Amino acid sequence: MTLATVFGLAVVYLMFPSARPLPGWTFPELLFLYGFSLLPMSMFNVISVNLYQFSETYLIQGKMDRVLLRPVHSLFQVLCEQLRLEAMGDAVLGIVILIAASKSLTLTITPFDMFFLAIAAIFGAVLYTAMFTALAACSFWFEDRVGIMPPVYNLISFGRYPLDIYNGFIRVLLSWVAPMGFATFYPAASILRPQAFGFYAWLIPVVTAAFCMLAIWVWNRGIRAYGSTGT
Amino acid sequence: MPPLIEVANLVKEFRAFDRQEGLRGAIANLFHRKYRTVRAVDRIDFRIAAGEMVGYIGPNGAGKSTTVKMLTGILMPTGGEIRSNGFHPFEQRTTYTRTIGVVFGQRTQLWWDIAVAESFRLLKSIYGVTDSDYDARMKRFDEVLEIGRYLRTPVRKLSLGERMRCDVAAALLHNPPILFLDEPTIGLDIVAKERIREFLKEQNRQQGTTVLLTTHDLADIEELCARLMVIDKGVLLFDGPLAELKRRLWREMAVRFQLRDREQAEKLMAATLPGVTMQRSGDLTVRAKFDRERQTSADVIRGVLALAAVMDIAIEEESIEDVVKEIYTGTSLREPVA
Repeated sequence: MTLATVFGLAVVYLMFPSARPLPGWTFPELLFLYGFSLLPMSMFNVISVNLYQFSETYLIQGKMDRVLLRPVHSLFQVLCEQLRLEAMGDAVLGIVILIAASKSLTLTITPFDMFFLAIAAIFGAVLYTAMFTALAACSFWFEDRVGIMPPVYNLISFGRYPLDIYNGFIRVLLSWVAPMGFATFYPAASILRPQAFGFYAWLIPVVTAAFCMLAIWVWNRGIRAYGSTGT
Repeated sequence: MPPLIEVANLVKEFRAFDRQEGLRGAIANLFHRKYRTVRAVDRIDFRIAAGEMVGYIGPNGAGKSTTVKMLTGILMPTGGEIRSNGFHPFEQRTTYTRTIGVVFGQRTQLWWDIAVAESFRLLKSIYGVTDSDYDARMKRFDEVLEIGRYLRTPVRKLSLGERMRCDVAAALLHNPPILFLDEPTIGLDIVAKERIREFLKEQNRQQGTTVLLTTHDLADIEELCARLMVIDKGVLLFDGPLAELKRRLWREMAVRFQLRDREQAEKLMAATLPGVTMQRSGDLTVRAKFDRERQTSADVIRGVLALAAVMDIAIEEESIEDVVKEIYTGTSLREPVA
């Protein structure tokens, strides 16, 4: 993951002085966005493997029976089965980038801003978790290994760049359909440009809560459809 | 006293999807799927009282595991009603599973990669078992199941017999009033089977644990269960004691007579005893077949002894395997008893 982060940074760096500069965003600002995007991502990656392999491990190999027999909510058990704490390494890198970027922006980050960014990062991780839980739960109905998660996972990297550089379709997609923007771009941008994006900061808990409810609903419906394996 | 487990009109249907073969089929599957509904459990009714040990048998695919999975709350019934220990297993699963223990012979309930002791400690905290209860139960598990030796071994390195003993212990760590076992003795050698049976018997006697177990090994039933339920093609065919099942399947019985000489054998063949059919099965041997509902072997023997000079008598015992074969292949249970 860290190698990917280095490449990601290189992309940010290479894009900036290129023939088509990103409209209205300076390099330190892009760094700030990128640095922040690492926080929710790394937190999510601590548990993401469980959702990523859900269909294979739990439904095809039949581990789900065991999960359902324990007196703890099944989704909680699945999410906690494997924790990859090493994924948090990227968060450290993200904080370093954030500090460096705000230095060169001569941005004064108040304690409240820090608190806001920390909470927003947690909400972002929860939002990712909710989205991928809903996707993983779809495998309760579709016996085949669903190939929908990798493309959605890749969409996350779209949210690292200013959403206003994309065309309308992708902007709507990343804001409202698969709202990666609320995990990464909007929180960071609301610090950088409160007038333009401050409003979106208020929507973070709303969008996250909505996706959590959706995810839990889909999951519980999925359990009802669960057919177990043959034996 | 109300029954501990009450099942009424239970139905489970699966929607199976017919996969078409080959690449063309795989592509076709994406767009158009053919589904058919399979009824795995078909309107089953039974009640189990607290403290009973009930055996649940049937051929592969009969619906045993599906029933157990509904009783344990894993699967949602398509229709009908289950009340177990006062709960609706599926709707109240997280509370209900605190009060049951489950063993699946085919698949371990323990965590594959961690040591057995770690699994037990994890279960201890999940079920909130107190330290003193934990220590006392672990001591007993070690005495009867001898699991102490493998506590430090990861589950994946255990042999099947060792793993099964650990699984049974794990299912009883929180001392649940109900224990479900799905083929707990499958693939085990005779010693391991014996040990698990002993332990279950003791658990039932000492703790009053109600046990429902599925098996293909009728010795499990003979040793453990006063009551037996037979299921095939999703339908409950029989519910009662093993002796009753044998009686229903084995109405025809035979006694073998060894006669003094050929003349005596011929004399016996020529004679008639009401309700008895004579069969010559060797030079000096005659088999007397009769309906055990109408006559006892004592009557038949008495009758034959009065007719001919007999040297030796053998009553043909049905083997337990024959009973199973008869259940699985025969039609006797599906016909009404005359």
